[in-house]
Parts: sequence; structure tokens; C-alpha cells
Amino acid sequence: MADFIRVAKLEDIAEPGKQLVEVDDRLVVLFRVEGEIYCLDDICTHDGGPLGEGELSGFSIACPRHGACFDVRSGNAITMPATEATVAHEVKVEGGEIFVKLNEA
Amino acid sequence: MGFSQDDFETFLAQRTEPDWLTTARREAWDRFLQMDWPGRREEEWIRTDIRLFKLHRYALPLADESQTVPDTVAAALTAGVELGGRVASYNGCSTTSQLDSHWAEKGVVFGPLDQVVETHGDLVKKYLFAKAVDPTFDRFASLHAAAWSSGMFLFVPRGVVLEQPLHSLATLGDGGVDLGHTLVVLEDGAEATMMCESGSVTPDGDGFHCGATEIIMGKGAHLRFVNLQDWSTGVWHFAHQKAVIDSDAQLQWTIAALGSRVSKVNQHVALVGPGADSQVNGVMFTEGKQHLSYHTLQHHIAPNCHSDFLYKGALQDKSRTVWRGMIKVDPRAQRTDGYQRNDSLLLSNTARADSIPGLEIEADDVRCTHGSTTGRVNDEMIFYAQSRGFTRQEAIRLIVSGFFQQIFDRVTIENVREALGHAIARRVREYE
Repeated sequence: MADFIRVAKLEDIAEPGKQLVEVDDRLVVLFRVEGEIYCLDDICTHDGGPLGEGELSGFSIACPRHGACFDVRSGNAITMPATEATVAHEVKVEGGEIFVKLNEA
Repeated sequence: MGFSQDDFETFLAQRTEPDWLTTARREAWDRFLQMDWPGRREEEWIRTDIRLFKLHRYALPLADESQTVPDTVAAALTAGVELGGRVASYNGCSTTSQLDSHWAEKGVVFGPLDQVVETHGDLVKKYLFAKAVDPTFDRFASLHAAAWSSGMFLFVPRGVVLEQPLHSLATLGDGGVDLGHTLVVLEDGAEATMMCESGSVTPDGDGFHCGATEIIMGKGAHLRFVNLQDWSTGVWHFAHQKAVIDSDAQLQWTIAALGSRVSKVNQHVALVGPGADSQVNGVMFTEGKQHLSYHTLQHHIAPNCHSDFLYKGALQDKSRTVWRGMIKVDPRAQRTDGYQRNDSLLLSNTARADSIPGLEIEADDVRCTHGSTTGRVNDEMIFYAQSRGFTRQEAIRLIVSGFFQQIFDRVTIENVREALGHAIARRVREYE
């Protein structure tokens, strides 16, 4: 069973902003929007593009390849060409440190 | 130990190689240090993510007398076959080398490349990175050119028909590195059958393979070349493979890609003499989170040549395959007959197959066709098989075997057909 793993310091991520981190041999992206931290797989479900290199607008992250947008809070696909959600992971912040619990789904 | 300058100096110091080779290795090493890893914006790599590949986790293969060689990897292709010779390596160091004296007397040269280069340096120099694989292609090719070790060399002189198959087996231990180089040279009218296998000691062990295969065929030569890649699912596999085929020579190249965590392979066949003929049979079976990426190029340089590439892949779990094929026909390659096809069978809802065939034709009297299919197992076929007494899993195995049968029918070596069939059947699980 996956457990929470410390991945970054809160102060390292701008508001709003994002940061690519490696967790347990997996690449995920942290998003900081309106005071909250969210975490998604660094994978666009349309073509496997790197979401961490995309443009963050509000709660929406756009894949840099074809512009598919995902909701950073849930991973749900918002716009075409993506139709499936990317994987969202659990996040908690304690003492200025960000912890992530990977979701295998 | 790792891949530092000091490690490379130690690697060179352990070898007693000709000066020309040491110089070539140093040039390639300098290039390796200057180059970057391929970026994801490059078309070649846009679908293959290697950001989690960490070279510092591995080390150059150095001779280690204390290294014990496990005997747990059994060759899959040799059951019941009377071999003319064999070579084997473990973690990039040669462990076995044998060639029947009958063939040696006929002038056949066969053995680990790093040993043959000490005894037949001029012969190796004539072909190594000289006619086929480009050692400057990318950073992986440069690393390989600098630090290849072990590997295999086969030379069949003019007119010699090597009737017994030869075999090479490369094995990786957990965390091991294999930088093997395969160099096959058939002079005019020569014939041979070569079977190459790779495997790991542990089913999910880590590892790194960065290899190259060069095949050079003279006029009228015939080669059956089989490559079975069955590394464990933690191995990073990068390879450049190229065959150069002269007039009226025939190459049958069978590739089975079953293992590795990530594979990125460039397979290139150049038809350089009129009447050259190549048939490539590719079998891919993936599971778990495996990612196999094959990029093929059929390059018609001379007129009246024939190339026929057929790749079939079956995918289960969350695995992914990428196949990108190109038929390139030069202006003078009139009356080219080129064919390429890639079929993918998805055995789960979460597997993904990318198939990208392509044509680049500069001659106006050619026949070039290509095709690609991707689909799922037909539920009615499963139901029908179950109604005839098969279990669901037996039914799926039957359908998957049938899917690959078109390739098995093309493979002319019986034990290779059987070995591939068994290897795939063992992997098929319940269909989602």
C-alpha cells in the first residue's frame, strides 16, 4: 500500500505555479493554485505529453503538444483532444513540506 | 564505479586492443560527453519518455574475476538444435566461446567481438562502424561506440555455406550492464543462420542495455538472423541495428521483443545492390507497464530490390508499443517492391499501441504498400471457442496464437517458431 512521501517544500512552488517531481520511480506534477496543492501524473491521456511543461491557467493545465486541458484538482479532462482523466494523487502539506501518496489507478 | 572519465580510463586499461580501436573509442567517448540525451521534442523520442533513466545507477562493464556466472538463464531457441558454435556473456563480459573446428578450417571466424578484435584486428576494422551503424547518431550510439564490450562477431568467407546455426546468449544480472555489439559479415555467396538471445537472471531485475547490430551481406549471400529480446521488466534497452544488403542477397530477420522496461530500437535495412531482398518478421508482446518503441527504415538505394516488413504486437495491462516505419526509395531505385505492415492486438482497456507507417518515394516506377491495424479480441470469437469446450484463457491463447500465426508461417526455422509460440502463450492472461 502506497504511503505519503515527502516530495518538495511548499516555498519552492510559486503561487500560482507548478513543479515536476519524481516520486517512487514515477514523474508527477505539483500544482499550487489559490493556496492549495494538487498532484497529477505528468501524462496527457491523449498522446502521453508532459503536462508539467504546459500552461497553467486557474485550475486548468494545458498539454503543450495539442492543448488538451485537465482539471488539476481531479485530473479530469476538460477539453479535447483528451477524453480520459489523468491520474490524480493525494496530497497533504505539513510544516511547510509537501507529501504525496501515489494512486495506482 | 560508473561512467566517469576515470571509469572509462580503467575500462580502456583493462583491454589489449589495437590502437585504431582505442582511438575510435576515445573519439566516441568525447562525443558522448558533449552530447545531450535525446529530448522529448524530437520526433524520434516524442512518444518514449526516458526522463527516469539514470545512467549513474549503472557502471561500465569491467572484467571482474570474482563475478560468478549464474546458470539460471536457459537458451530458448536452441532446443534440439545442433549448433555450429556459441558465444555467451554475463553483464557485458564474455563467458563462453566455441566454434566447431570444421567451420574454422573453412575460414569462418566466430567469437566474442572483443576477443576477435585481438586476433583478427584488420578484419574487424574493415567493417566495425564502417558500413552500417552510425556511431554519431545520438548519445546512446556514441556511448555504445565508446564502451562496447563482449558482443559477437561472425565472418563467413566467400562461398562458404555454414549449415549449422550459431547462437549467442547475453545475460544480465540485477543492475547489470550490457553494451554488446553484434557484427555479422557474409561475403559473396556465403550462407548462415544466426540466433541471438538476451535474458535476465531475475524476472523484474534492473539493468541497462545499449547495443548495436551490424549485418553486412555480400552479393548473393543468404542470412537467417533471429533476435529474441527477453530482458527482465526493469531493463532499459536501447539499440541501433542496421543491415546492408548487396546484389541478389537475401536476409530473413526475425525479431521477438518480449522483455525490458523501456525499449527504443532503430532497425534499418539498406538495399544497396540490385536484386537485394529483405524480409523482417517482428513479434512484440508486452505486459505490465512495458514500453517498446521500434523505428524501422527500409531504404531502397538500388533498383529491383524487395523489402517486406511485418510487425505484430499484442499488448496487455498498461503496456504500450510504438511502431514507426518508413519505406524510403531513392531516385535511382526504380522497380522497387516494398511492403510494410504493423498489426496490434489490444488485450486490455488500458494498453496503447501507436502505429505510424510512412512512405518517402523519389522514384516513379515502384510498388510500395503499407498498412496498419489496431483492434481488440472479438468477444464472439472467445464465446465460440468456449462453446467448443475451451476455457476462456485457452480461448484467448488460441486467438492470440492465431494472430501471430501469419508471422510464424514466415519464419523458416522450426524451433524458433515453437519457442516464440510458447513464450507468447505463457504470457497471455485473462482478457479484460
